[in-house]
Amino acid sequence: MDPLAPPARPGAGTRAWPSYDPAPFFDELVAPDGAPRPSAEALWTYFAELGADALAERQLAADREIRAIGVTFTVYDEGVGVDRPWPFDIIPRIIPRNQWQVIEAGLVQRLSALNLFIDDCYHDQRAVSEGVVPADLVSGSPNFRRECVGVDPPGGIWVHICGSDLIRDDQGIWYVLEDNLRVPSGVSYLLENRMVTKHIFPEMFRHYSIEPVDPYVGRLAATLASVSPSTGDPTIVVLTPGIYNSAYFEHAFLAQQLGVELVEGGDLVVLDDDCVYARTIDGLEQVDVIYRRVDDVFLDPEVFRADSMLGVPGLMRAWKAGRVALVNAPGAGIADDKKVYSYVPDIIRFYLDEEPILWTIPTFRCSDPASRAHVLANMADLVVKPANESGGYGVLVGSQATDEELATAAKEVEDQPNRWVAQPIIKLSTAPTLCDDAVAPRHVDLRPFTLMGPDGAYVTRGGLTRVARRQGSLVVNSSQGGGSKDTWVVDAPGDEPS
Amino acid sequence: MSDPVDMVDGPGTDTAGAAPDRHDQQHRAEQDEPEERDERGGTMLLARMAEAVYWAGRHLERAEGTARIVQVHTDAHVDLPVGEDVGWEPLLAIAGVDSEFAERYQEAEDPDDVRAAEEDVIEFLLHGEGNGSSILASLTAARENLRTARPVVPREAWEACNNLWLGSHDHLHEAHSREGRVLWLRRIIAGCQCIHGILLGTMSRDEAMSFLVLGQNIERADLTTRVLDVRSDSLHHPGADDPYDVVHWMAVLRSLAAYQPFRRAMPARPQGGSTLRFLLQDDRFPRAVGACLTEARAQLKALPHSEGAQEACQNASMVVAAASVARLTVGGLSEFLEEVQLSLVEIHQRVDDTYFRPNFVGWEPATATQ
Repeated sequence: MDPLAPPARPGAGTRAWPSYDPAPFFDELVAPDGAPRPSAEALWTYFAELGADALAERQLAADREIRAIGVTFTVYDEGVGVDRPWPFDIIPRIIPRNQWQVIEAGLVQRLSALNLFIDDCYHDQRAVSEGVVPADLVSGSPNFRRECVGVDPPGGIWVHICGSDLIRDDQGIWYVLEDNLRVPSGVSYLLENRMVTKHIFPEMFRHYSIEPVDPYVGRLAATLASVSPSTGDPTIVVLTPGIYNSAYFEHAFLAQQLGVELVEGGDLVVLDDDCVYARTIDGLEQVDVIYRRVDDVFLDPEVFRADSMLGVPGLMRAWKAGRVALVNAPGAGIADDKKVYSYVPDIIRFYLDEEPILWTIPTFRCSDPASRAHVLANMADLVVKPANESGGYGVLVGSQATDEELATAAKEVEDQPNRWVAQPIIKLSTAPTLCDDAVAPRHVDLRPFTLMGPDGAYVTRGGLTRVARRQGSLVVNSSQGGGSKDTWVVDAPGDEPS
Repeated sequence: MSDPVDMVDGPGTDTAGAAPDRHDQQHRAEQDEPEERDERGGTMLLARMAEAVYWAGRHLERAEGTARIVQVHTDAHVDLPVGEDVGWEPLLAIAGVDSEFAERYQEAEDPDDVRAAEEDVIEFLLHGEGNGSSILASLTAARENLRTARPVVPREAWEACNNLWLGSHDHLHEAHSREGRVLWLRRIIAGCQCIHGILLGTMSRDEAMSFLVLGQNIERADLTTRVLDVRSDSLHHPGADDPYDVVHWMAVLRSLAAYQPFRRAMPARPQGGSTLRFLLQDDRFPRAVGACLTEARAQLKALPHSEGAQEACQNASMVVAAASVARLTVGGLSEFLEEVQLSLVEIHQRVDDTYFRPNFVGWEPATATQ
């Protein structure tokens, strides 16, 4: 920009970070002309007045607070679990409310359709008989649980808690990247991030009308209670794999916030009456709802992995008898698979007779010969992913891979085409992030959480923004140096359309 | 992969630590379908959580107690002339870690010099490897237990404990000098008191609180007996007009934060008999053995299935109350204190058997026992 030219918009004259340039990416806070987006103007002015030193001090204060209150995640280094303080970048990400309302509707639409799909998979499989999805997609999936066939969870809802991953491309278009229907993590960090922000930028909350995130816990409690098989006041527990699990902090946090017990497999027992009981100091007490944070295959050694010490023998029997609710229901992972992902737009149209609100990334299924040929020919421009994995396991980003890695991946695709899908590389959006005392653009994604019960649905206002802290990196995982941001859904003037 | 926000919680392959024997779990009560479920939806306390808060109470108390003893001993040391120096071994005896210490340090030392060096003893008591009762080991154990019990303890209490644990590590290097040590220990004591304060001020008087206070009082009573035991030698061989006798007994009282309460309660100057009577039988001073037992029993009364533990508690109380302090000052104090310690072990054993073992007495559906 010409320094002598008059500022294009208020705020552009007092640039908070003069050298900030997100090009060629879409930036969440800064427009291509270098001025703040309308929803970020007040934040911009505030940071410009605050200055770089004060900003760095606030970051230190945030780090101290996170350490003191013990917000941690566990990483494993040579088999030893080490608690690390939760990485948090103090510059919030802002989403205008009118945009968020569209996303919210899109997430609810998507989860409604996926729940109908899962229920269908374990009943008539209409989607297969009517040609919406191939039979192999359902019965051939490693995530299909035969034990779940014919089971009717309350309201036909299998996924009560979902943590979708959303990303934006260089045009600012929102996409769903993953649905995460099994035991998604992160909501505790979302809530803690907001608390820390309130402590370090209390002034900011005067300039903005920010949607609160706290109601999530109450809505979660209501959702859990709504699926209880008993008529009285339900006894709810959170089931954790234990203190050494990487997400134990979150399990304990949620149990504490919900005011319920945090149980391990060994605390529960299923008796001959098919009811689940917890070992308390006053004997056994019946449990109605289990918010389980243990993966399907570890839930019940009588049914799944016999060597599981994390589960409860007989739990599946109790669930199938309708004596206990499991949240999320076992078998929900059938819809949480990259191949099913590619059919979600059709699934939405089939069950809801609606057009999808949110975009799904075009996905090449390598089992299809034409798609496979395209993938093999264009591998350097694609992201190649295992179809049945989740959470970034085994993902190859073509543009960042070596020739050797590309050759290995190509061979795997040719050998087992069924196992692979590929997607175009999305140029992830960026957000201003404090890096070594300078503010620079870093790639972000977003994980909102959607609750769904027989009584209705709820989406967190905003979500957990994860940020790749290394320049150019697309890796937002906290175990690999990723950070996080507080995310504000605001009622701001002059919102840009989505 | 261990990213908490990677989409799926890892199976946590390493979490089997506390898993009880599955066969015990299969033990089932013969019963029909539960009818009454009137107690549902209220608070329930998992046996495992009860155990965690009980041990959190004990470890916090041990950390604070050890810190106070080291601090007072350091102070008293300054008061004594070189010849009267009692050395640093009594600290090891009070903490009950003399043999562990010897294993670690004594061999490497000059065999002619049998006295333990101050810096070695302090290091061992503060954070020594191989000392499971060191101040840092106790704090770590308290923190781990509170972490497990997070759903049942106030968030602020966990945060205070976490903060204390972090600070105690951050400033450990300062504790090597006597001057820095005093500050470090003071921080530990104040930190533990802060946690107790938060618990008292913000935690419901529920079953979890009862287990915490129970653990705290059993540990307190135990510590008081151990402090007295180490001083019992000097009790039996007082110099006729030993000018330092008072200094020793003042140190005993101060080790237990009892000096000021003692002065207010007892007209006598601190001597063996009056100190013993106060620390054993006073029912108002919270660190006196008798008062600890009264408190422990009160907590047990609030818990289900506690008859056996209450009885053990009452037995211990009777042993303490029936003691003739006049006779104990002449002889047999050590044997008496051992008897008290064994009765404390018995209380713990009953609590452990009743609530924390897989086959505890309440191991049948609560609904069936009503």
